[in-house]
Amino acid sequence: MISLKSIEVGYDTPLLSANLSLELGNLYALVGKNGSGKTTLLQSIIGMIPSIHGEIILDEKSIHAMTNLERAQKIAFVETKFMGINYLTGFEYVAIGRTPYTNALGRLSDHDKMQIAKSLEIVGITYLSEKHTTQMSDGERQLLQVARALAQETQYILMDEPTAFLDYSNKRNLIEKLKKIAHEEQKCILLSCHDLEICLENNLSLLIVSESEKKIEFRNNASKEEILQLAFS
Amino acid sequence: MMIVHVLSGQISLNFSDIVSAFNTYDATNTNHIIFFEFRIPRMTMSILSGSALAVSGMLMQTLFNNPLAGPYVLGINSGASLIVALTLLTGIPFFTSDFGLISGALFGALLFGSIILYFSFYIRSNVSLLLIGLMISSFVGALITTLESMSAAEQLKSFTFWSFGSLQQTALNQLPLILFGCIVGFLGSFLLTKPLNAMLLGETSAKSLGIHIRSFRIWVIAITAILTGTITAFCGPIAFVGLAIPNLTRMLFQTQNHKYLLLGNLLIGGIFMLTCDTIIQLVEPYFVLPINAFTSLFGAPFVVYIVLKKLI
Repeated sequence: MISLKSIEVGYDTPLLSANLSLELGNLYALVGKNGSGKTTLLQSIIGMIPSIHGEIILDEKSIHAMTNLERAQKIAFVETKFMGINYLTGFEYVAIGRTPYTNALGRLSDHDKMQIAKSLEIVGITYLSEKHTTQMSDGERQLLQVARALAQETQYILMDEPTAFLDYSNKRNLIEKLKKIAHEEQKCILLSCHDLEICLENNLSLLIVSESEKKIEFRNNASKEEILQLAFS
Repeated sequence: MMIVHVLSGQISLNFSDIVSAFNTYDATNTNHIIFFEFRIPRMTMSILSGSALAVSGMLMQTLFNNPLAGPYVLGINSGASLIVALTLLTGIPFFTSDFGLISGALFGALLFGSIILYFSFYIRSNVSLLLIGLMISSFVGALITTLESMSAAEQLKSFTFWSFGSLQQTALNQLPLILFGCIVGFLGSFLLTKPLNAMLLGETSAKSLGIHIRSFRIWVIAITAILTGTITAFCGPIAFVGLAIPNLTRMLFQTQNHKYLLLGNLLIGGIFMLTCDTIIQLVEPYFVLPINAFTSLFGAPFVVYIVLKKLI
C-alpha cells in the first residue's frame, strides 16, 4: 500500500496536496489540468523530488528512508515516451528492467531471463524480442515499456501519461491491458492520463486534481460532468 | 598488424632481428636497441592511446546521452593543454623537462576533471553540465591562444610540436606507468557497464532502476580524467579518436550493451591508432605527418564512408 500522508508536492511552493492510500490490485488514473502537478506528484512518489510537507509511506516505510535500490525493487517508473535506441533490441530493453536484481556486472541469471520472457508474454509482445527498438511503432514501444516495468518485479508501477502519443485503439488496448495486469498480477498501477472517456469506460479509480482547492480528490464512480467540474472549471 | 608496425620505420628491421632480439638480446646491436627502445614503446603507445581515448569517448557519450560528446568536450583535454602551454611557453627549465611536461599534463587533466566534477555536484541536468564543459573548453582554448601570441618563436615551436601529438616520445621505462593508468581505467569502465546500460534510458529511468546517479557521474568523470590525462600527457592532445571510434564501434558491433561496446572500443581504438601510425611510419621517409592531423585525415572519410554505407 502507498500512503500519501497529507503531503504537499512542488518545487518551491506547493503545487498540490494529497491525503490518500493506493491499494494493490487496482489501476488508478490521475487526471487534471496541464501544469496541475501530476508529473511532480509521480516524481515525488518515486523519490526524484523531495515532498515539501507530509510523508509518503510505502509498505510501512517512508520512501525517503529507503535507498535507491530498495525503492527500485518496490516501484517501477515509466516515462511518457520512449523514443527507441539504435541497435537496442526489445529483449535487451526489457532486460534493463532487471537492473535492481543483477550482480555488479549486470549478468542475467536464468531467473532473470525467465522473468524477462514472462513479462514479454504477459504484455503479449514476445514477437518484439529480437526487433530493434528504433524500428517499432509508438504503440509497440509503449507496450515494451510496460514489459520493462513488469520485469522490474515491483508491486507498484507509476506511469506518466502512457497514452499521450498513441492512437485511439492503442490507447484503449493499453488501458485494458494495464487493468488486467493490475488485477491478475496483484499490482498497484498509477498512471496520469488525459483520456477521460477511456478511463470512465474502464471504470478506473480516479484521482482528480481539484482545480479550486489544489487537492487530490478520490472518486470511484464519477460522471464526466463531475470530473470536468472538479478539475477544469 | 603489430608486426607490420614494428617492422615499418625509417631504419628497416626485418623479422629475424625481432626474433634474435627476443632470444639473445645484444646491447651493442643497433637493431636490437631500436626494437626495444623505440619500436616496442611506440607500438604499445599506439594501441593504448587508441583504446584509452575510445573508451573515454564511450563513457562521455553515454553519460551525456549524446553521440557528439567526447573527452574533448568536458575540457579535460584542454586542461592538460593549458598546463603544458603554461610550462612550455613560460620556459621555466624544470617544467620543460620531459618529466615536468608529463606531470604538468596529468595534473592539468585531473585538475580540470575535478573542476567539472565539482560542478556536477550542483548541477542536476547533464545538458547543463555538457554546456559548462564546452564553455570551460573554449575559455581555456582562448587562454592558450593568448599565451601563444605572447610567447617567443622558439617556445611557440615546441608547444606547437607537442600539440601535433606524438607516439614516439615515450621511453621503455615509462611504459609500466602508462599501462598501469590504462588498466585502472579499463577495469573501472568494466565495473561501470551495468549503470552505463541503465543510463541508456535517461537519468530519471536510471534512477528509478536504483542507479545512484551522482556517484556514477563521479566515477565516469574520474576514469575519463585518468585515461585521457595519461594519454595526453605522453602523446599530446589527440583529437577525433574519442569522438569517432565509439560511434564506429556501435555501428560495427550493432549493439548498445556496454560490455561488448567496451571490448569493441578497446579493439577498434587500438587497431585504428596502430593502422594510422603504421601508415605514418611508412610515409615518413617522404614527408612527416603529425598523428593528430592524420587521425582525422584518415579517419573522417572512413567514418563518413561507413555511415553512408549503412544508409544505403
